[in-house]
Amino acid sequence: MPQLVPFYFVNEITFTFIILAITVYILSKYILPRFVRLFLSRTFISKLLG
Amino acid sequence: MNTLFNTVNFWRYNSSPLTQFEIKDLISIDTPILGNLHISITNIGFYLTMGAFFLLIINLLSTNYNKLIGNSWSISQESLYATLHSIVVNQINPKNGQIYFPFIYALFIFILINNLIGMVPYSFASTSHFVLTFALSFTIVLGATILGFQKHGLEFFSLLVPAGCPLGLLPLLVLIEFISYLARNISLGLRLAANILSGHMLLHILAGFTYNIMTSGIIFFFLGLIPLAFIIAFSGLELGIAFIQAQVFVVLTSGYIKDALDLH
Repeated sequence: MPQLVPFYFVNEITFTFIILAITVYILSKYILPRFVRLFLSRTFISKLLG
Repeated sequence: MNTLFNTVNFWRYNSSPLTQFEIKDLISIDTPILGNLHISITNIGFYLTMGAFFLLIINLLSTNYNKLIGNSWSISQESLYATLHSIVVNQINPKNGQIYFPFIYALFIFILINNLIGMVPYSFASTSHFVLTFALSFTIVLGATILGFQKHGLEFFSLLVPAGCPLGLLPLLVLIEFISYLARNISLGLRLAANILSGHMLLHILAGFTYNIMTSGIIFFFLGLIPLAFIIAFSGLELGIAFIQAQVFVVLTSGYIKDALDLH
């Protein structure tokens, strides 16, 4: 089973954690706040009209 | 043409269903000065990086210039956001659980994109690697445990005591609960990798079988359309599994975080 050959274990884990950490950072700083601002502005506008 | 058939036959008879999961060096450096380090970009690293870029590009394409009325691109992203938000709110805590939302979102997207990249023929299924999924699951359960100790101190051990259990049974039940708590580490990672691995192996075996049938003669070519239909159906099933496994992983992660935050 090629999954159990330990030669590249460190390589896999390093890539996984670096990429996951970068993804969490970019999502929480740049991408997800945009959704919150969008939903908030929709709420404010609907309150304004209603 | 003959060479092509020879190549195909060589590939067919010399490949086990597991060769598709082999990790290979794409670019590597051997560094004799730094304690013989072998620094390399492997195919798994390449596909993981591609997945991250894909996520970024999808999000850049679906910004819709911050308009209030969404187009189809931004609505797809908004519904993804709403789905994951409802998972976090329902599973963890409507009030305190929201700080874990970016992590849960990133985890879902990471697993989903890598599952889907694995579904592209001749690409590489990163999530079929036990080391990757175990690294994620062990980190998540360890993180949830640290969170529980940080919040509750030694009272966290009351997680191991089911509510209203008789005193005589307590040692046995605590042992069973402790084992089940440790088994979370394994089960979370094993579920994802085993599902993806088995699906890809099944498709590989069925495809080899169908190829053998369809190249045997003109009647067999048409007979082979039946297993080919099965392959197409299984591919659809695998697409579903890619989504479901990502969702299950995220729901269970949320459940473990909730267990650590609010002891039952």
